[in-house]
Amino acid sequence: MKQTVFRYFALYLSFLSHNLKNEMIYRANFLIDICIDIFFMGVNVIFFKILYGNIETVGGWNFHQTLILVGSVGIVREMAYLTFRKGFLELGEYVRTGNFDVMLTSPVATSAHLAFRHVSLTESFGEGVMGIILVGYGFAHLDAASWIGIPFYILMLLNSLVIYYGFCLLVNSLVFWLVKSQELNTVVYYFMNTARFPREIYHGLGKGLFTFIIPSSLIATTPAAILVGRAETDIIFLSIGVAISFLTIGLLFWNWSIHFYSSASS
Amino acid sequence: MQKYWTVFQVNWQNALQYRGPTFVSILGNLLHISVLLYLWNAIYSGGQQLGNYKLSDLITYYVLQLMINSMVLSYISWDLGNQINDGTFSNFLVKPLNPLYYWFVINLSGKLFEGLMILVVGGILSSLLINHISIPSNGTTLLYFMLSLILGGILAFEFDFAVGILAFWLVKIHSFKYMLQYGMFFLAGALLPLDLFPEGFQKLANMLPFRFLIYFPIQVFLEKEAQPIEGFLIATVWIVVIYILLQFGLRRGIKHYEAVGT
Repeated sequence: MKQTVFRYFALYLSFLSHNLKNEMIYRANFLIDICIDIFFMGVNVIFFKILYGNIETVGGWNFHQTLILVGSVGIVREMAYLTFRKGFLELGEYVRTGNFDVMLTSPVATSAHLAFRHVSLTESFGEGVMGIILVGYGFAHLDAASWIGIPFYILMLLNSLVIYYGFCLLVNSLVFWLVKSQELNTVVYYFMNTARFPREIYHGLGKGLFTFIIPSSLIATTPAAILVGRAETDIIFLSIGVAISFLTIGLLFWNWSIHFYSSASS
Repeated sequence: MQKYWTVFQVNWQNALQYRGPTFVSILGNLLHISVLLYLWNAIYSGGQQLGNYKLSDLITYYVLQLMINSMVLSYISWDLGNQINDGTFSNFLVKPLNPLYYWFVINLSGKLFEGLMILVVGGILSSLLINHISIPSNGTTLLYFMLSLILGGILAFEFDFAVGILAFWLVKIHSFKYMLQYGMFFLAGALLPLDLFPEGFQKLANMLPFRFLIYFPIQVFLEKEAQPIEGFLIATVWIVVIYILLQFGLRRGIKHYEAVGT
């Protein structure tokens, strides 16, 4: 067990350093990516700025608290690019061209090989940095900031990353039937994009839907609620439970779906 | 004319083949819209209000936005840009096809197909929300609405084509194109109705043609647009002006074209 973990970690590091070297060739691209990230985060902030120009609170969250939500989504996104996201974006191409064969035959779990294939530090770097800035800015404007919450905040961000990975696996498993993954990733994109709204806006059926089927309401709200000082133990345990279930079901479904891969050409 | 009809039919077949992915993409948009509906509902049930929008107006705004996204907004720049980058665009240089008309037809058949699918989804959604949406009071409004959709669709295609042919000059910057598109949709009122924006921003958005893609048709539907006829005229002028610019840009682009890989 310990050896396996160590082996995967070493593998991850070598993929990361390989990709970093690759990315460093295109320094101009890195700068463009940062500008684009700043643009998108900027549009998000403008959206809420305009919204809060018309109203006071959304589900009990004021403007500065909402910035913590927006920033948290950015941080989780950057963490995802550092661990798995880009491989899934390329999955459709691998399946369509038959290059997925390589991952099936390599001596590592396919879900891990695919994830590590293109781990990228720079792809979403701007978003991560902007995210930290927004969280910091929002945090500085809180009436009652809770400093001791910070380590728990980081832990729950990691928990959100697990939920994100599980959901990504589940949705992308469908690629073996659809053979195109661009649209599947639109769903994943909206999943993260709608995560920046506080969980309190949902009620009734929607609350269940956006917790257990499409768990976007937990991604940003749980960690942010800790920083804002309004987290209850229920939601923390709920998030951890959802993370574990999604990871388990995601992996099981993925491993089953692979059987439907039909390769191509060669 | 005959050849473009063939292009239409071929692409229609193609769209049929990929109906699964199209459906998934509609589901993605539906996910986005339903979250927004919960958001507005939460805001209004707390006794707050956005501008002069009733809750039913806002719900209608976003249901229509969902449908316009499938029926009107064009997404061909991705494939067009790829064609230019990988050299397959050279086909147009030896075939008696004008790329502008070719892609217009491709876009048209795709939009008609997606439009049929979204009409079903939108129909179901509207019947679920029937007590919470605003319905036009007379037939003229519906007629105006259809006209504004057509004008919006043509304009949306023209902008998208313009973004696509940027690939003649700029290589491999998908994300930059994506940013342009997102900026246009923002100014078109995709995220928020333009009259909720701060005043300076509103003036800017009103001068730009992007509002005709989303905001203008919806305002017509909600009967909030004071001068629809004037809007139609302005949109038509924009269509003609951008058409001329596109033809010019296309000629310049082809001169600049490097035909990589061929």
